[in-house]
Amino acid sequence: MDDQKQYARLFNDMDSQTFITLGIILASVILLIIASQRGLNWLANRLHGQVRFRIFALVPLTRLLILLTALAIAVPIVIEPSLRNMVTLLGAIGLAIGFALKDYVSSLIAGVVSAIELPYRPGDWVDIEGTYGEVKHVGMRTVEIQTPDDDLVAMPHLKLWDSAVYNANNGGTSLQCVANFYLHPEHEADGVRKALRDVALTSAYLKFDQPIIVVAEEKPWGTHYRIRAYPVDPRQQFLFITDLTVRGKQVLSRAGIKPALLPPDAALDTPKGVPDIHRRR
Amino acid sequence: MAQRSTETASSPWAVVALDKFCTPEHTQKSQWRRSRRTMLTWLTGKRAAEQQAKEEHELRLLPEVKLAHLVPNIDWSPVADRLAQALREQEVANEPVVFFITPPYGGHAAVISHWAKQQSVRCLMAPTHQELTEGSLDWVERCGHLDRWALPALERHMLRHTQGLQGVREFLERALSGRLGRGVIGCDSWTYAYLQQAVGIEGAPAFTLQGMEGKQLADYFASIAYNGQNGLTVYSTRTGRQVLTSQPSAQKVAQEAERKASTHKELQRLAAHCRGHLGVAWHYWRKRLREPAQQDDPDASELWLLDALADAELPADTGDVALLVLHALLLHGGLEDQALGDVLPFSHHEALNARLALARQGILSREDGRWQVAALSYASVRQLLASRNYLVDPL
Repeated sequence: MDDQKQYARLFNDMDSQTFITLGIILASVILLIIASQRGLNWLANRLHGQVRFRIFALVPLTRLLILLTALAIAVPIVIEPSLRNMVTLLGAIGLAIGFALKDYVSSLIAGVVSAIELPYRPGDWVDIEGTYGEVKHVGMRTVEIQTPDDDLVAMPHLKLWDSAVYNANNGGTSLQCVANFYLHPEHEADGVRKALRDVALTSAYLKFDQPIIVVAEEKPWGTHYRIRAYPVDPRQQFLFITDLTVRGKQVLSRAGIKPALLPPDAALDTPKGVPDIHRRR
Repeated sequence: MAQRSTETASSPWAVVALDKFCTPEHTQKSQWRRSRRTMLTWLTGKRAAEQQAKEEHELRLLPEVKLAHLVPNIDWSPVADRLAQALREQEVANEPVVFFITPPYGGHAAVISHWAKQQSVRCLMAPTHQELTEGSLDWVERCGHLDRWALPALERHMLRHTQGLQGVREFLERALSGRLGRGVIGCDSWTYAYLQQAVGIEGAPAFTLQGMEGKQLADYFASIAYNGQNGLTVYSTRTGRQVLTSQPSAQKVAQEAERKASTHKELQRLAAHCRGHLGVAWHYWRKRLREPAQQDDPDASELWLLDALADAELPADTGDVALLVLHALLLHGGLEDQALGDVLPFSHHEALNARLALARQGILSREDGRWQVAALSYASVRQLLASRNYLVDPL
């Protein structure tokens, strides 16, 4: 009988007024989250440069603030917020999570961590476990990544705990692109280096406040050149690489430089552990 | 970029070192105002109308003949005198190359041509389009060695193209090493910014025309109207207040009033909008002057100036293709359609379509067969390109 009274004291008296209040809080939270997310995404998608990324970063933070505020209002309505009550409630919730909803709740917690640590935010170009693309939305449980093939991949935040997250632009507008050229070993290397640098310098997409680097690497089958440069906007990366590749090939062909011809059984070596993002770019 | 105060404004034709260039007072404020206006237009879907003291339909365009007397073409020869003086005073006589930089419509080609004529110096010829696209160095060889030479418009000597850079790189290498003799090069500020990155011209002295304040613009516009002889009174359609007067009797009154209240506010606004560039401000003045539609006295000199900000502006959501076209045109000081297709990463057909769309919106205009950013759109185009991280000019 005493135990029953103790548990009854854990929760406040719940009358119809309380249920209506909780219903209003729940509805307000849903509406506010939808409005803030849609509004901020809408605004950010119409802006460019650094402002775009700053507004995108506000999306998960705003949602987290709304949720915390709602909890702070709702919890005292449901339970008497004493230390004993809170310990009892949290213990019960912890037990339920431990058995049934471990991964789900882990993703939710990782979502909160991602909103604070910002390993990725909308507008970033990331590679998580081989999935490369632009972060379109950071939800409570998943992050939505749009790949260059226009697939939308929902990746659980859970990956944060044990997977490397490669962020190509990290909330900024600078994203390095790499254009590869595989050339026959017999050529004048200094001329090629200068020509490839000119190819980057004359690209309409080039961002000038970042360096242009031409890397040459000797291989058994020839010479591998890479132009490393930055486009004005990360979203132009594929157009930029295409432009560098097309014009680079034109210039090299005009100079009479032949591409490398690999033996039929040879394959280009890509170091293990390097994510797809770097191989692709 | 430094801004200076109206009080320290000096001569209207001040030629200064490039790093001494200052934008007029309130330039930053003007940019914020433009951003706010663009944002409002974008949010509401229609152009945000400001309260006007005089409605546009009550006014009409000025006849061309009257306009030619009121706002004649800019005579750049005084700037050539100032440039010659600056070259003497700044002790750059032994420098192999000196640059004179101005923004679009800034008149660097005319200034250098005047200077060359005054100094009896030979002007170097620009290469043909074919020479540029083939990367031919023949035009560089033709330059030979001269004791003194002038090059009015360096932007005509390059294309943003692997071949189009070869000639200008070779030319600048020879010029900067002194192998061509001593020369003065006129260059568009956007081309200069690009060549600084692509070729490297650091260290060569560069001069420019100092940005003008509202008071200097007022003096200039008053002095060119009917050669400063006839009376001219201009009111702002935005405020209804007097913007300018050149009537001898009224001038004294205006000067008196100037001490009491801040006049030239509207022209300061125009100066800030144009970043102090006279060439751009002159186009505004010429294209936005109106006279009353119902004027009883044909000789009456009352004129109205339309709001400087209500010009052909780019929407904030302008696409990448349009921006690439605009940027290419600015970097080359204007281009013909054929050359435009050569410097853009898409087909000639797409480049032409984008160019046509911009021309229809009034963002581009054609001067001497070349398409370039219209003077009235220049300020908003520059601001938009800067906001999207494109390379912009130093002025």
